[in-house]
Amino acid sequence: MTNILEVRSIQTYIGQFHILEGVDAQVPAGGIVALLGRNGAGKTTTLKSILGLTPPRSGQVIFDGVEIQGLRPFEIAALGIGFVPEHRAIFRDLSVYENLKIAQRKKGDLERKSAFIFELFPDLQRLIKLPGTHLSGGQQQMLAVARALVPDNRLLLIDEPSEGLAPVIIEAMMEAIRRLSATTTVVLVEQNFIVASQLAQRYVIIEEGRSVQSGAMADLVQDKATIQRYLGAA
Amino acid sequence: MTNILQTFRKNRTLFITLAILALLFLMAIQGMSTRDWVVTVLRGLAIGSITFLVAAGLSIILGLMDVLNLAHGTLYMIGAYIGWSMYVRPDSMVDLATPFGLVLAGLALMPLWKPLLARVDPRPGIARIWPWIALLLGLGMTALGLTNAPLAIWSGSDYQNSPIVWTQFAEAGVVAENVQPATFAPGQSPVLIWGAILLGSALIGLAVVGMIQSRRGVMSAARSSTTRPLLTFAVLAGLALLIFVVNTPLTNWLFSLSTNVLFVIAIAVAALVGVGLGSLMEVTLIRPLYARAIYQIMLTFGLAFIGAELVRAIWGRTGFTMPKPALFANTGDGCPADSIAGWLQNSCSTIVLEIGGQRALIRTYNEIFVIAVGLVVLILVWLLLQRSRLGMIIRAGVQDSAMVEALGINVRRVFTLVFGLGVGLAALGGVIAAPAYGLSDAMGATLLLGSLIALAIGGLTSYPGAAAGAIIVGLVQQFIIKYGQLGINLPFLDEPWKPTPPIVPASTIILMIIILLVLPQGLFGRKE
Repeated sequence: MTNILEVRSIQTYIGQFHILEGVDAQVPAGGIVALLGRNGAGKTTTLKSILGLTPPRSGQVIFDGVEIQGLRPFEIAALGIGFVPEHRAIFRDLSVYENLKIAQRKKGDLERKSAFIFELFPDLQRLIKLPGTHLSGGQQQMLAVARALVPDNRLLLIDEPSEGLAPVIIEAMMEAIRRLSATTTVVLVEQNFIVASQLAQRYVIIEEGRSVQSGAMADLVQDKATIQRYLGAA
Repeated sequence: MTNILQTFRKNRTLFITLAILALLFLMAIQGMSTRDWVVTVLRGLAIGSITFLVAAGLSIILGLMDVLNLAHGTLYMIGAYIGWSMYVRPDSMVDLATPFGLVLAGLALMPLWKPLLARVDPRPGIARIWPWIALLLGLGMTALGLTNAPLAIWSGSDYQNSPIVWTQFAEAGVVAENVQPATFAPGQSPVLIWGAILLGSALIGLAVVGMIQSRRGVMSAARSSTTRPLLTFAVLAGLALLIFVVNTPLTNWLFSLSTNVLFVIAIAVAALVGVGLGSLMEVTLIRPLYARAIYQIMLTFGLAFIGAELVRAIWGRTGFTMPKPALFANTGDGCPADSIAGWLQNSCSTIVLEIGGQRALIRTYNEIFVIAVGLVVLILVWLLLQRSRLGMIIRAGVQDSAMVEALGINVRRVFTLVFGLGVGLAALGGVIAAPAYGLSDAMGATLLLGSLIALAIGGLTSYPGAAAGAIIVGLVQQFIIKYGQLGINLPFLDEPWKPTPPIVPASTIILMIIILLVLPQGLFGRKE
């Protein structure tokens, strides 16, 4: 099994704060890997370090056999990594169409992908002309995921897709992520263990800035003690 | 219908404020005749349109990069002075093009030094010292070359050769007769001087790259190409030397042009110099300080003073005027015109119209051309923001530039481009303003104040807000000036109260305070 992404003992500082003190992760091509851990453990910072938004001071990030740490975020993204940030960070002043259009890396990306995107998120087609501010929370989250699907990405980093959404919407979002993971590898940060365990095949647990355990999700689900210890009540 | 009601309810304070502003305007025009208020509104719109040219760039730069560029007013002033120089003394600008083109060409080689220096790895002691030696040597050679390059130019300190006198020559159309072309001093050859500049600036570039690498360590050199810097170098150096070869015919051609065409060239040159200065400023000074906003504000504040001193050193401390282009200058036959058609036919400086039974004198440059330019720029920038990919990136970046970068867009390059364009707009404002309001070393500070107030009124980063704020600032100023002549009849006063000139800037500040008290985020600003 080849890994599309490998993170080797990265250390990241934000200002003077030592946030990541050694995170390792292997992401095999295809499927979904969940980053688990408590609030403030460093899951989001791990995603941002992979993308270069908070560049690691040491360690390696290897994407598709190439070391990418130290490259600028736009260069890393252009290699084929899409990012869905937390808090549904769409561009509020842009229309739904512009939010998708701006993600194009080549001319015609959106035209080629629109059928797939609107099949996953039929709502967006109806709302295409509305400004981002007029969307509901769930619709904004869908748009944030859809935006990452416009260019030809081989890896998606998705941060807290279920945060603050109604249960029905979470169901739809999970279904969409499951379907898109058939063609694109996904690294998922998820607080909601039930959501994460149903989606991901593999997991990495991060605790106080270190990766402490990883393996197959099927094994973790059985291991109540570990869940209790690192993730709180399961 | 419910939609309209909803928007109204949401923005109730905004609509009430706009209604009060409209009421204030209606009250203000009650106190004067129709002719007076129409002319005052036109003058206000003209000031507003100049203020807008500065405020627009200021607002977009603030929104996208969180940089409050306090040097923006000074760059507006530099635009005006560059425009004047191109318009009145094109020969000096042609003389300057060659040495400065060569400096740029030498600096364009910088990307070549990166891989070269990565290969040699001197001992740490030497690595720290040699860039300083190279820098001193480079600066010396460049300075020596620049000071010995032939240049026929005005002087800020000698009245007979001052910009004031050259402006008079330009008005009389005798600049070309009075120019004494510069030549190389005896014993100096062009090869020596141009070579010194080229080599010196290349050394400066080498030293800068060396300093960066000794501080940050050798950067990966895998992705830099060698053909592009070489091509840039060849084009710049070739162009500079070509201008040197055709110096005399080019100068004569520029002198033979009508002032209308020369004015258009002056606008283009000033705007381009603005774009270049802005981009250079962003890359070299602003970029290292993005994480430190306070330092950035102090830096731009300091640059404003340096720029103003430079202007005083080059063009002198005394203010002067810029002759209006021919299309707006005729005061003789058939003038003043009685219609727009009559103006275009006779190139009149003024139009006399019958408004409210009185003769109104409208200056074609100040009250028609300036407003028209402001309107055209307003629409063009709006189209750029709404319809182009760059505009989309700017609007997205105002909200979250890190996310834009995460999409694979080189945000740093967008920042440089937008900073350059913003400064270019301010410089354009400077050239447009110069024939109408004259040039002085205080023009930058005055306009910076006006446009900062316009931003605060409009909502800092909102483009329509910048436009509305600028218009409000212009109108308030002009109405106060007009009432300074007419006087306002206030209750309990025997004589009408006449606002004195110092109240003009104060009045806009008072208005700003009132608007911000009611709407803390400004007219069109977003609630935080």
